[in-house]
Amino acid sequence: MTAVLDRPNAPAPAPRKPKRSVGRFLRSSLSGRLTFPLVVLATWLLSIQLVTAIWPFTVDVLPTPWQVGEFMWGEIRGDTLAPYNLYETFGISLRRLAVGMAIAIALGTVIGVAMGLSKSVNAFFNDWVVAILAMPNLAWALFASLAFGFGNTGPILTVVLTGIPFVIINVREGVRNTPSDLFDMARAFDVPRRDVIRHVLIPSLMPFLFAASRYAFALGWKGLVVAEVFGGQDGAGWTIKFWYDAHRAHGVVGYALFFVIFALVFEKFMFDQLSKRLFKWRPEVNGPEVVEQAFDPAAQAAAAGSSTTSAALESINQTTLGPPTEREPREAETRSKNDG
Amino acid sequence: MTTELAPEPTATHTSTTGAEQARAAKMKERRQVWTWRIAGYAFFLGLWEFASGRLMDETLLPGPTTVFRTFGELWSTGEVPGAFATTLTRIGIGFTIAFVVGSLIGVLMQNRWLNGFFRDAVTVGVTTPGLIWALLTAIIFGNRPAGPLIAIVVTTFAIITVNVAEGIKSLPKDLIDMGKSFNVGVLRRNRHIVIPHLAPFIFTGVRFGFSIAWKVTVLTEVFAASKGIGFEMRTATQLFRLDEFLTWILAFYVLALFLEKVVLERIERRFFAWRGELKS
Repeated sequence: MTAVLDRPNAPAPAPRKPKRSVGRFLRSSLSGRLTFPLVVLATWLLSIQLVTAIWPFTVDVLPTPWQVGEFMWGEIRGDTLAPYNLYETFGISLRRLAVGMAIAIALGTVIGVAMGLSKSVNAFFNDWVVAILAMPNLAWALFASLAFGFGNTGPILTVVLTGIPFVIINVREGVRNTPSDLFDMARAFDVPRRDVIRHVLIPSLMPFLFAASRYAFALGWKGLVVAEVFGGQDGAGWTIKFWYDAHRAHGVVGYALFFVIFALVFEKFMFDQLSKRLFKWRPEVNGPEVVEQAFDPAAQAAAAGSSTTSAALESINQTTLGPPTEREPREAETRSKNDG
Repeated sequence: MTTELAPEPTATHTSTTGAEQARAAKMKERRQVWTWRIAGYAFFLGLWEFASGRLMDETLLPGPTTVFRTFGELWSTGEVPGAFATTLTRIGIGFTIAFVVGSLIGVLMQNRWLNGFFRDAVTVGVTTPGLIWALLTAIIFGNRPAGPLIAIVVTTFAIITVNVAEGIKSLPKDLIDMGKSFNVGVLRRNRHIVIPHLAPFIFTGVRFGFSIAWKVTVLTEVFAASKGIGFEMRTATQLFRLDEFLTWILAFYVLALFLEKVVLERIERRFFAWRGELKS
């Protein structure tokens, strides 16, 4: 159709341009991205219609988008029926997350460095690190809430236990990947030990530590929320449970959306900005552009898709398949380099 | 013995002594690693046993021996196989649906528009805590079986989608082109190029997916179920029986790890048996 219509004004390209760009826009991934929320909204409304037609008694359980929107707007303005408003709630949870992650990173770095340097220490800890990693955070959360009661200890302990295996595994990989020729050179030129640690070991560990804190953050957050549901008196997890217990489905959905927004903001803005700033001195740090890695399918996917997803996948990969050196060669193709 | 063996290496090449030495060193190293490994087990189990009753109250932290004893008691009551079967069926059904949905989306995502369409769905699926889906489905569906299934599908599909999409993106285009130009049929092309190439990605997806699926299943059962491991855990915690709680979770944890590391890995190895020949 368009081709036939266009043919007479072919010499004048100006009127044709917008039409073509509209068509291109309709086929672009951005328009698909914009369509997604609309489709979700439509499905949501349609399913409410369907459910109320079939089982009329469930009307108040399925919240409408408007109810959820109203609830969220109220929360954003700080107007809430819960004992703490949105900002206090997330502030409390964030403080717990920060304390837990600080402990996990400090302890995990020490153990990880020791495991990377010595085979014996590695054998000592390895199975237990894998075991702790495979444990569901629900188990930690329930156990900590029963053993330590309500308060800060349980949630913080859960964050530490869910986060620490990731830190250990990544730091161990980092130590194993340190450039040994630089160490040799430092020894040959009599560089003092402190300078070697400061200028060789720490910079080469940084990307691994950063990746570790990224996974530890994402998983620690999930663990924290579960722990707060069972053993908290405040915090994000406790508040969503509050709305659940009050049987306010719109509160649960609204808070769920806050969770999603919170996680996305943290991942996309904070960690991306931080990595940009921390690794300014290393032009090649955003790995996938490096030529030798371009043949790695997973690295390409990491470059194309969201970096968090593949980062999380990689860490799972590492723990389920063992460290890269012990893996069978065929696994190498599904593995991407650690963030750096 | 030693007198007989001693001249032999010197008589032959020096390289054999080198190899022998290397093997001896390897053996020694292996022995050392195993010693440390066992020391690790002894240390952590000992710490656990020591902590229960000394550092913490025994009702708050039952030791490993108590857990074993409780497992025997629970097994004799006969509720263990039933609860395991319930949870495992739930995982089986939910994970199968998640696998189908996930791979379908992975295939569809090759289209640019659909890629944009599903991208946020995948991101949300990966980043949102399973707890949220557990609570949401519990509040909407109550104790109906659909709730946990939906929660499993929503939390697991994204992992499979990511892996399938990655696999398809890296299909060997030149091989497919060659197949086309040599008139290899669609079926044979899929059978010999596409499927062998996708298989490792799918297996990785299945393994990740399973490790997430069983955790989410237990979590949803805590909130909305009247049978299964999660339900038993909830009952145990509400009665403040930590020994029973720890026994339930550890027993299921061991089973899940067994399925994940031994069963799935063995299937995978059998599936890829031909690769070993290829390499040699």
